[in-house]
Amino acid sequence: MSEVLLEFKNLGKNFGGVRALDGFDMQVKRGEIIGLIGPNGSGKTTSFNLMTGIYAPSQGEVHFDGADITGMSARKVYEAGIARTFQRSRLCLPLSIFDNIMIGNHARLNTGLWFNLFQRRALRGQVEEFYTQARDLVAGFSEDLAGRMFDPVGSLPMIERRRIEICRALISKPKLLLLDEPSAGMTHDETAQMMDDILAVRDRMGGLSIIIIEHEMGVIERLCDQCVVLSYGRKISEGSYAHIAADPEVQSAYLGMD
Amino acid sequence: MDIGLFGQYLANGVMLGTMYALVAVGFTLFFGVLDVIKFSHGDVLMLGSFTGFTVYIGLLSLGIENPWVMIAAILVVSIITTAALGAIIARYLVLPLKSAPPLNILLITLMLGTAIREAVRLFYPDGSNPKAFPALLPTASVDLGGFALRADSVILVAAGIAVIIGLNLVINRTRLGLAIRAVAQDEETAKIMGINYTMIVLVTFAIGSGAAAFAGIMNGLYYNEVNFGMGLLLGLIGFCAAIIGGLGNIYGAILGGFLFAGLQTIGAVALPFASAYKDVFAFGVVIALMAWKPTGLIAERSSDRV
Amino acid sequence: MQNKTIPDTRWMGLPHLAVGLIVIAAIALFGWQFLLADSEIAVLGMVALAAMAAFGVGKTGLNKSMSAAMRNHGRSMNIAILLALVCVIFLLGGEHFPLLMLTTTLLYMTVAFGLNAQFGLTGMVNFAGASFFGVGAYTAAVLTNHSALPPILILVAGGVFSALIGCLLIVPVVRTAGHYSAVVTIAFSVMFKTFLEVNDVLGGPQGLMVGPMKTFGWDFNSSPLLMGMELSFYVNYALLGAGLAALAFMFVQRLERSWIGLTLDSVRLDETASACFGLNVVRAKVLAFTFGNILIGIAGALYGMMISFIAPNSFSFSDSLLMVAIVLLGGLGSLWGTALAAVIVVLLPEKLQILQEYRFLLFSVVVILMLLFRPEGLMPRKVRSYFPNWRPEQ
Ligand SMILES: Nc1ncnc2c1ncn2[C@@H]1O[C@H](COP(=O)(O)OP(=O)(O)OP(=O)(O)O)[C@@H](O)[C@H]1O
Ligand SMILES: [Mg+2]
Repeated sequence: MSEVLLEFKNLGKNFGGVRALDGFDMQVKRGEIIGLIGPNGSGKTTSFNLMTGIYAPSQGEVHFDGADITGMSARKVYEAGIARTFQRSRLCLPLSIFDNIMIGNHARLNTGLWFNLFQRRALRGQVEEFYTQARDLVAGFSEDLAGRMFDPVGSLPMIERRRIEICRALISKPKLLLLDEPSAGMTHDETAQMMDDILAVRDRMGGLSIIIIEHEMGVIERLCDQCVVLSYGRKISEGSYAHIAADPEVQSAYLGMD
Repeated sequence: MDIGLFGQYLANGVMLGTMYALVAVGFTLFFGVLDVIKFSHGDVLMLGSFTGFTVYIGLLSLGIENPWVMIAAILVVSIITTAALGAIIARYLVLPLKSAPPLNILLITLMLGTAIREAVRLFYPDGSNPKAFPALLPTASVDLGGFALRADSVILVAAGIAVIIGLNLVINRTRLGLAIRAVAQDEETAKIMGINYTMIVLVTFAIGSGAAAFAGIMNGLYYNEVNFGMGLLLGLIGFCAAIIGGLGNIYGAILGGFLFAGLQTIGAVALPFASAYKDVFAFGVVIALMAWKPTGLIAERSSDRV
Repeated sequence: MQNKTIPDTRWMGLPHLAVGLIVIAAIALFGWQFLLADSEIAVLGMVALAAMAAFGVGKTGLNKSMSAAMRNHGRSMNIAILLALVCVIFLLGGEHFPLLMLTTTLLYMTVAFGLNAQFGLTGMVNFAGASFFGVGAYTAAVLTNHSALPPILILVAGGVFSALIGCLLIVPVVRTAGHYSAVVTIAFSVMFKTFLEVNDVLGGPQGLMVGPMKTFGWDFNSSPLLMGMELSFYVNYALLGAGLAALAFMFVQRLERSWIGLTLDSVRLDETASACFGLNVVRAKVLAFTFGNILIGIAGALYGMMISFIAPNSFSFSDSLLMVAIVLLGGLGSLWGTALAAVIVVLLPEKLQILQEYRFLLFSVVVILMLLFRPEGLMPRKVRSYFPNWRPEQ
């Protein structure tokens, strides 16, 4: 098993005339946490979308866990072991917490027609089993939420929704977790709390790699082994937090924005 | 096929295509500014032609018989009526549902279409029977090798095309058009630029609905008949035309309109089965086209950003 | 924040099951009398009574007790409802017209359950419901006239044909979304009726005769005897209709309360996110569309055999819209809501002849108001509970 879990080679994407991402090379090792940062519109979300099969790249390749997953459908990518959250929360608001998390668990659900319509007893066994798992996972973030597994997600405040979204991505025990601005709209303390929770879950799952897009530099500093900085679709710097923080090009990219 | 018959079909096809394009342009305008389908469009058209018919009856009873005066009055009154109705629909049914699931607007306007249709059938005097729309245009014709090209057809097509070109100019060359395009591009930015968003939406709906009334009068003058059910089919055809052209694109709508008319004509003459199947054929092809190009021939700009 | 002591929702201190059974009996009695009522005044009075009762149910907490009964004693309650329906059918015994109305309502209910799987759960609006209903009816007409197939198989054939015709639409319907998908079914609906009208083999605008339902030597169009009393032959159809509606209800409910239901919901609410979690969007849509069309087709076949004469006019786009209206009025995905809405939309105009002429107008206005002011429908769907009587210890 190679050290490298994910690799981008010369990855690029054009939207009409806009070069959203250009010649992006990156590696993620097993168990590593990578911070992906850059000013607004620098192509961070786009790189997630290319990885997860939402868009096909215009150029370059994505390799994951020893296989070429370039241009694979979103479904296949998920089956290969990549799960994500979305920048704009995309939960199913009318559905319960449990339902939303089970959507993330889809690979393990038996969706056979006969099973679901006529083998109700077996179905019940599966529901109970996954209920326990989902509940335990949620309890790692908030005991309160775990007691409300059958409340509709739409009735929860934004922070709780973010947590559910992370649980939905984690329940399938992915090899790589992609977090797109998980702390958007949270206070400083809430963010810190959630990062601790994510780390705790990660320890329990063992070996999970994470790429996190984040504007909050404190989070990046505390969490990440490596950082990659994008600007206008190009990688301008990478290395430890201390390294990129000192990089004049990074500073000017951010200053140029503000 | 002899040349006379061919000419006949061609003239008919062009007439239908112009009519369909006019209806489709409305759908495309509404979709452009609000990303919604207003399915009551066809029935608004029908209401427009009934308004026109009522004006005609009224003028007759006043003793006014000059056909040009009549046509002008019919057009003015029915276009104003439907334009107002379009704006009212936008204001009270469409805008309030803007944040609801997009399908709800399609549903509510479908139901409104039914309500308009049924109201005309039930409450217009003898509304369930077709009405004889007068032939007000000169019917003189020139003979083109076995096929009589009639003046009224030429006038109708020319007027229809003029309206389409006019609409296109309004959208692309005027300040109003600029505002409409700005709203269509991006609602938020348009608001920041100081555009009165609600106003522009209402005006767009009024323009689209007015064009439908024009198509309705055209239809009445051409077939010399209006009936309460005509809007359903015309609306559906306009919708199909706008969709196969690619929603939100004026040229797509025109293309779709003529394409549909072409399909109907082919279905009526060039295919081995009875001409009664022409609509079945045309809709069948539309369904097949949808399978092949799910977002229309000229693709709609993608809107689902992740 | 789980309440340790579950608040007492019992109504007047009665056990939930008892309350449930009493309510079912009351509704059955009411329905029986309603179907028999023959003066418009009486019908209006009963409608007012029902509206007042519905209002009172909310005020007195009866609804809480009712839902507790449905939750904890689901099976007993369902059996009781079915029995009550059978009782009503036999009580109506010799009355042709009320039985015809009841059966029509039950068949429309079946259709609406099918549409609910498509629209309510999966978000695919099928504006060709009446067309698939018509496919079933015409299949029955052709097969009863030109084959010796046993009628029970003809019912199945109605469903199969409807699903097959649906397969013609599947590619465009599945590949498109929202408005684009709507145009496909609307176009199909209009096309289908035109096709029936111009097709001589299928009787053109005049329509076709349909042979009666005969099974196991039991001729559905001969009048059954019950304890020496001759009953209307519609009793046969009513019983079959009740069975069909019950089966459709059971299937759609089980579908909803399963992983498949979850998948369908997810596809409706967010296709992109669904795909990111490995859901097979195409499979979900094909499954829901076909499943719904089978139900609609079977109902159509039975309908054809019951009314024994069918014409294109019964399968128009307006009828399709009325079917969609049932689903919308009841509340998307809410099966009991759908059942209630089917009764309102189908039965009410039949009973109030003044409404009959105005029904398309009336219900389109009602749906408009509903979409504006109460889009969740008369009886909004609740959060999914896979096994209602299963309460995980929290
Ligand atoms: N579906 C799309 N169609 C057209 N352009 C797009 C699309 N998605 C992204 N873009 C463009 O690509 C560029 C990069 O966008 P991206 O969302 O990746 O930025 P980002 O780094 O995630 O920024 P932010 O911090 O604001 O989330 C932007 O200019 C954006 O407008
Ligand atoms: Mg982003």
